[in-house]
Parts: sequence; C-alpha cells; structure tokens
Amino acid sequence: MQNIYEVQQSNKIKSGVITALFFVFSVLTIYVLANAFGYYADYPVGGFGYVGIALIVSGVSTFVSYYYSDKIVLGISGARVANSKEDRLFTSVAENLCIGAGIPKPKLYVIEDSAPNAFATGRDPEHAVVCVTTGLLEKLNRTELEGVIAHELTHVKNYDIRLMSIVSVMVGLIALLGDWFFRARFFGGRDKHSLAGNAGRDDNQLGAIIMVVGIIFAILSPIIATLIQLAISRRREFMADAGSVTITRQPQGLIMALQKISADNEPLEAANKATAHLYIVNPFKTGIKGAVGTFAGLFNTHPPLSERISVLQKMS
Amino acid sequence: MNITTILLIALVLVVLWVISTYNFFVSSKARVKASIQEIGNQLKRQFDLIPNLENSVKGYLTHEKGILQMLSDARKLVAAGKDASKEILEVLPKLQIVVESNPQLKADGVVTRLMDELRDTSDKVMYARRLMIDLTADYNVKRVSVPSNIVANMFSFTELKGLETAETGEHLTVSESEMKSPKVNL
Repeated sequence: MQNIYEVQQSNKIKSGVITALFFVFSVLTIYVLANAFGYYADYPVGGFGYVGIALIVSGVSTFVSYYYSDKIVLGISGARVANSKEDRLFTSVAENLCIGAGIPKPKLYVIEDSAPNAFATGRDPEHAVVCVTTGLLEKLNRTELEGVIAHELTHVKNYDIRLMSIVSVMVGLIALLGDWFFRARFFGGRDKHSLAGNAGRDDNQLGAIIMVVGIIFAILSPIIATLIQLAISRRREFMADAGSVTITRQPQGLIMALQKISADNEPLEAANKATAHLYIVNPFKTGIKGAVGTFAGLFNTHPPLSERISVLQKMS
Repeated sequence: MNITTILLIALVLVVLWVISTYNFFVSSKARVKASIQEIGNQLKRQFDLIPNLENSVKGYLTHEKGILQMLSDARKLVAAGKDASKEILEVLPKLQIVVESNPQLKADGVVTRLMDELRDTSDKVMYARRLMIDLTADYNVKRVSVPSNIVANMFSFTELKGLETAETGEHLTVSESEMKSPKVNL
C-alpha cells in the first residue's frame, strides 16, 4: 500500500529513468550512425553534416506540429468551443479543478461524438487545450468527469506534450538517419572506399566493423527508439492518473470513469493514429490477451486499463 | 583542466543551486499567499451567490420551509465571514428528495440549477483550499528534506501553517457512519 505521494515520487523516478535511457540511446545511435556514415560517404564527423540536416528536418517538422498542436489536432478532430450554457457541467468542473491544480484555465473544446473519450494538448499550461466528446459528458457523472478532466489537467501541468514532442524529434531523427544510411549506398560512397582501399588493411577492417555495426543500428534503432518512446508515453499515463487523484482525492471517480469508457465498444471516429496517444484511453480498443497481447502491448501508447485500475485501487 | 577550474565550476554550480532553491522558497511563499486570497475570493463569490439563489427559488419552494430556512442559515453564515460549504452539502440531498417527489419542479429545472450552483460553489471553495494545502505541503516538505533544508536554515525560512484547524474537536474523530464512502446522486 503506497500513499499518493509515494506513488507520485516513484512515477517521477521511473519516468526520469526511462527518459534518460532514451536520450542516452539516442545519442549513442546518432554517434554510431554518424561514424558509419562518415566512413561511408567520407564526410568529417563532428562537422555539421548529415546529422545536422537530419536534426533540422526532424526538428522543424515536429516543432511545427508542437507549436500548432492545439490548432492541428482540433482541426483534425472537428471540435467546437465549449460554452458555459450548453456544456455547463464540463466548464464548471474544469474551472474548479484548475483552481485545485493551480493552473490557468485551458481552452475547452467539445467533439460531437458519442464515443466517450477526452484529450489534452497545447505546448504549455498557458496555451493548453482540453477536449472531451459529447459521449463522455453524457455517460459520466460529475465525480467521474472530475477524475477524467483532472487526468488531462495533469498532462498539462507536467508538460507531457512538450516532453513527448522532444522525444518524437529524436525518434524522427534516428529514423531519418537510418533511412539515409541505406540510401547512401546508391550515392557512390563505395567507390571512394575502393579508391582509398590501399590506405591499409587495418583501416579497412575497422571500416568493415563500423559498417556492420552501422547497418545493425540502422535497422534496429528506429524500432527500439519507438518502443522506448511508447514506454515513456505509458509511464506518463500512470503519472497523469496519480496526478488526477492528487487533485480530486477520489480514485473511485477515475476508476469508474475508466471502466465506463472501456466498457463502451464504440470506436471514436474523430481519432486517427496520429492523435491516438493524446486520448485518456486508446481510442482504438484493442483487446488481445496472452503472450501475443503482451507483445502487442509494447506497441501501445497506453498501459492496459486493468493495470491502471489496479494501481488506482491501491491508492484508495 | 586543472584543479582550480574544477573547483570554480563546482562553486558556480553550488551557487546556482542555492539561488534556485532560495527562489523556490520565496516563490512558493508568494503562491501560498495568493492561494489564501483565492479562498477569500471564492468565499466572496459564495457570499454573493447564495442570496441570489435563495431569492430566485423562493417562489418554487414555498412548501419547503425547512429548505429555505437552511439556505438562509447558510447565507447568514457566509455573511458572518464563515464558510458555508458544510451546510450547503447538507441541503443538497434534501433538495434532491424534493425534486424527485415533485415532477413539476424536475421539469422546470430551476431547482436543479440551484443544486448545480450550490455544489459548484462549495466545490470551488474546497479546491481553493486544496491548492493552499498542497502548496504549503510542498514548501514544508522541501524545508525539512535534505539537501534543500540547508538553504532553508541558511535563510531561516519558517514552517508555513497551512489551513488552520482546531487542535481538538469533532473533526479529528471519525464515526462509523462516516467511514462509509458517501453515495450521492445528483
């Protein structure tokens, strides 16, 4: 039995460890790929070469989606602004919870969809957006809704959107580098090496080793990076659950809400793969059990509901 | 890199840490102060709201003298500068019964609005308090835990009281009926 503060503390540590692991892995991968690349294409490692270009490409694309995340997501999902007349329950609950969390009130949006779900986005608490579906407002009572919205507000408060953006810049960078590494074969890097072939046997052997390591990294690292990214995403979900309970002090509300949402089999039409990780519960309802399920679980943005509920039950 | 450079860097890091810890203490003190004002702000809202609500439902609840009495009691409490959240929470289930047994009132929606507003105002006061409690807890934990306690002692930051509650009394004991989780349908 852990109290809420211990849960939060251990969540913070675990999340920190995974994130640190991710960045160590990224740096290592980029280093290896850059070296292999350098050997291959004969450009000076350490200069502003392919890594710099890849960083810019990956960085700009993610930065745009990060900076305009609220507008993009809302545009995709077709959400409308919540008003205090029609969505009284939603606006008053959100307002109250913001008082409790000590953050400015985010912009509130509603998606007309009978599948119950909710998400938060925006780059910082000042530009945050919390969005719920009409199905959620209809199916949950006030206490349950408080649990869900407090979960979303915790994402906002913890700067989860910012963290996940930085992580996806790195994943994008690794994927780009891996991709370019394979493409580089067609650009005559090899000729250069055969010319330099008589430079010495040691050099060639070292080159071969670096090439092999480079190929292995180019194949595996995008997958591994994605897996770590998803692990971070799942960890942040646990943190948001614990944070929700810190604000409302009513784990039962969130438990009931999660059960209700998961019992609902309707898929959310407004969601797509790009926005799935934002929602409180995976909008694509996958229910594979057993060993296959565990493996498939590695590719999920959200931890299994049963696990989230059992963690919450320990807090009550 | 010689030993002096290393020492110098270490010194700069320590100074930066001391500054950021000091800033944490002073800024959380300011935030606690603001959160106390927020509680006052919400109580003021309650003070303005309850007489209004009382007036607007008077006509609907002519047969429910008891409830009107409870509402005006709550108003008097707020007027005296006290918080009426507890009284409000006692009124709510009674209002629920009235609405359930009276389809006309249910259809009209005014009393339902009243219940929403009452719950909302007591929630707001409660969350304003929660923030203040959380902020003082953060400050107090940091004040006594290693290594930030060094900075706290250096600048003699004192413990913050948090929400003042009486040292003795009913609220420190829990009766059996209070141990059950409340079931309220709104």
